[in-house]
Amino acid sequence: MSTSTVAPLVSIRNLSVDIVAAGSAVPAVRNVSFDIMPGDILGIVGESGSGKSVTCRAVLGLLPAAARLSGQILFQGKDLATMAESEMEKIRGRDISMIFQNPSSHLDPIMKIGAQIGEPLRQHQGISASKARAAGIRVLEDVRIAEPERRIDSYPHQLSGGMKQRAMIAAAISCGARLLLADEPTTALDVTVQARILELLKGLKESRQLSIVLVSHDLGVIAQLCNRIMVMRRGEIVEQGETSTIVADPQHEYTRLLIASQPGRRQPAVRSTATHAAPILLAVRNLVVSFPRPAGIRETLTRSDRTFRAVDEVSFEVRSGESLAIVGESGSGKSTIARSIIGLIRPSGGTLHCDGQDVTALTGDALRRFRRSAQMIFQSPYDSLNPRLAVGEAIAEPMIQHGLMTPKAARHRVGELMEMVELSPDLARRRPHELSGGQCQRIGIARALALSPRLLIADEITSALDVTIQAQILDLLRRLRDSQRLTMIYVSHDLAVVRTFCDRVAVMKGGRIVEMGEVSDVLGQPKEAYTQELLASVPKLFGADPVPVEPQHA
Amino acid sequence: MSHLGLSTAVPRARSRGSIEISIGGSLLSAWLFLAIFGPSILGVDPNQIDLVAILQPPHADHWLGTDQLGRDALARILMGARIDILMSVLGVLPPLIIGVVVGLVSGYFGGWIDSILMRLVDITVAFPFLVLVIAIVGMLGPGLDNFFVALALVGWVSYARLIRARGLVLREAEFIQAARGLGYPPLYILFRHVMPKALSPIAVYAMSDAVMVMLAGASLGFVGLGVQPPTPEWGVMIADGQPFVTMGWWICLFPGMAAASLGLGFLLLSDGLAGRLGVRK
Repeated sequence: MSTSTVAPLVSIRNLSVDIVAAGSAVPAVRNVSFDIMPGDILGIVGESGSGKSVTCRAVLGLLPAAARLSGQILFQGKDLATMAESEMEKIRGRDISMIFQNPSSHLDPIMKIGAQIGEPLRQHQGISASKARAAGIRVLEDVRIAEPERRIDSYPHQLSGGMKQRAMIAAAISCGARLLLADEPTTALDVTVQARILELLKGLKESRQLSIVLVSHDLGVIAQLCNRIMVMRRGEIVEQGETSTIVADPQHEYTRLLIASQPGRRQPAVRSTATHAAPILLAVRNLVVSFPRPAGIRETLTRSDRTFRAVDEVSFEVRSGESLAIVGESGSGKSTIARSIIGLIRPSGGTLHCDGQDVTALTGDALRRFRRSAQMIFQSPYDSLNPRLAVGEAIAEPMIQHGLMTPKAARHRVGELMEMVELSPDLARRRPHELSGGQCQRIGIARALALSPRLLIADEITSALDVTIQAQILDLLRRLRDSQRLTMIYVSHDLAVVRTFCDRVAVMKGGRIVEMGEVSDVLGQPKEAYTQELLASVPKLFGADPVPVEPQHA
Repeated sequence: MSHLGLSTAVPRARSRGSIEISIGGSLLSAWLFLAIFGPSILGVDPNQIDLVAILQPPHADHWLGTDQLGRDALARILMGARIDILMSVLGVLPPLIIGVVVGLVSGYFGGWIDSILMRLVDITVAFPFLVLVIAIVGMLGPGLDNFFVALALVGWVSYARLIRARGLVLREAEFIQAARGLGYPPLYILFRHVMPKALSPIAVYAMSDAVMVMLAGASLGFVGLGVQPPTPEWGVMIADGQPFVTMGWWICLFPGMAAASLGLGFLLLSDGLAGRLGVRK
């Protein structure tokens, strides 16, 4: 699109933001200049700490009190950077609006959706409550919420995550905003919901002549929606331009790394098929896990079933040396299965035979001994380590507790394990908060390997990590799997990772396995409608299946 | 999971609570020093009755005056510091230890153990704190030992409740789940991983509890169930001096100030710790 004759909607010139803490200033954004054109969907991509969100918030004057801002943010001839707060309030929600990553925490839980959508209308246009309600219903229609007349009287907790994000978008555009700032709007959502929200944003851009700034760490999401991309790193813009140009021909080294790190940009794992004949290590038969449902008065009176089945009659087998992926959206029961296998959750039915033992029948010391053969790596690298223990102690602890080694021998083994996960043993004395997320996840892996397990379960281990780190962790895990001959269960919502990492895949929905088989079969020719929908929702860089590139990269 | 990068860029102010900690800490250590070395430095017998010199205002021989029996007030306050500090430590530690163990077990293991222990807590809190303490001391007989026993029997409930709430939360924490998954024994997890993380609000509460114990001790002394005469204790000194307060302002003022400053020390330390450890009171 040619924008050379059109004046920019917002013009940002030499914007710098410093965060002042304990007397010293940490630069969050450094001397950034760019334009937002009318009708633009500008994507800002970068890793955590790259300054993308800070830039976005600076436009609306929503920076924390510790932030010091310099430079210009020109909007309709005025400089938003120096504007008085009272004037800024008139622009927020009327001309420029913002939506956030987590709709649950940005909607008021004790206010009806209608009141929250009507609020900007009443504040900015001074219209009556009844008119605001009518306008609210129209906006809910615009964001394609079914039954808007009913939903307008709902409270946030009565809506699903996707509907909440739609409601937040509705509140943001209700006054006819020209510019919508979207800060990671789909990060907390499942991939199929994400696809629908992105579709909605695209539609709103057309129907409402809305300009959008989309901030995301996910280049796939950005490439799918945006016509222009701005790549940020360490507070600076490293590259910006048309989406197609940047994706096809990235100039900056960092952009190239970002593209190469996208999951699924790798050759599918070429693995020997010898595992078919290998003995069965884990056999799951008719596994059921139920949780009590909070009972209301009606349920209590009618004595209806007060449990819900997180896992419902699931059966599968894992052969020794094989890697099985369990994929599905949040609430599909995939993590519950993972936790049942190592005995963290007690199933209400079925059997779990691992290494010849029925895990469901094990208690006390027998269960503790079993855990030597099955280990788990957790999603959040920081939360799964005791913040008060040095990471070296955390790795040594399992060996000492299981009586496998003396504390002295364990300390020596810690060094070996840390080298195995490609960390310098010098880091052993650090606490988790002194390490990066990627380093902490390596510690988590080292700790899981300390007991030399036969089965390693990885529960969404890369979803809290930046994409370049994610690629490194997966490479490491791939090497360890081959050198240690590990059997793996890889729990994930990310199909692109599964495609390159696993041999077989089980697709879960609502506590059941809907499809299971070889990765190439299930993801290549999905038979079930749900698998097809899941595959179609994955954001793609080139609008088609990813073209595999050379596995080696920086 | 913020991608804003601001949370990491704003380190918690280093000095938070440090003024309170240093003032409170100095007050407490000053009293500790005075309690240990004060009486021998002064070299005056706190129980030496001198009926010739009763109710004397502060002057060169008796810096803080004398009481109705002619005993030196300064000597009695210094000796009383030993009793009062001992009281606040022995009055806080046993209930703290009982409460922490009960609360941890209750919160972490849950189930029927939790139900039984928490009903016990409910029964105990159904009675007003001081009334129950007085009732128990009344049954066991007056004296400092029985006062400590009574406090241990009554005081643990607040600690148990506080730490049970933390235990409930920590039980679900991912690093505790990870510890379970690694096959550590339950009691090891409880004391090695859960307890250290649960203790910070307890440390803060213990400081303010020390003040409560001092007040309770003074109240008991006042009704004659606490420290027995002639042992000097600040609460008893105030109570004994009360009939003579119109004749000498100094009799109640100085022990009162001593009690207040020691209490202030504990409270400031508690406030400072709360700020430092990020505990909301």
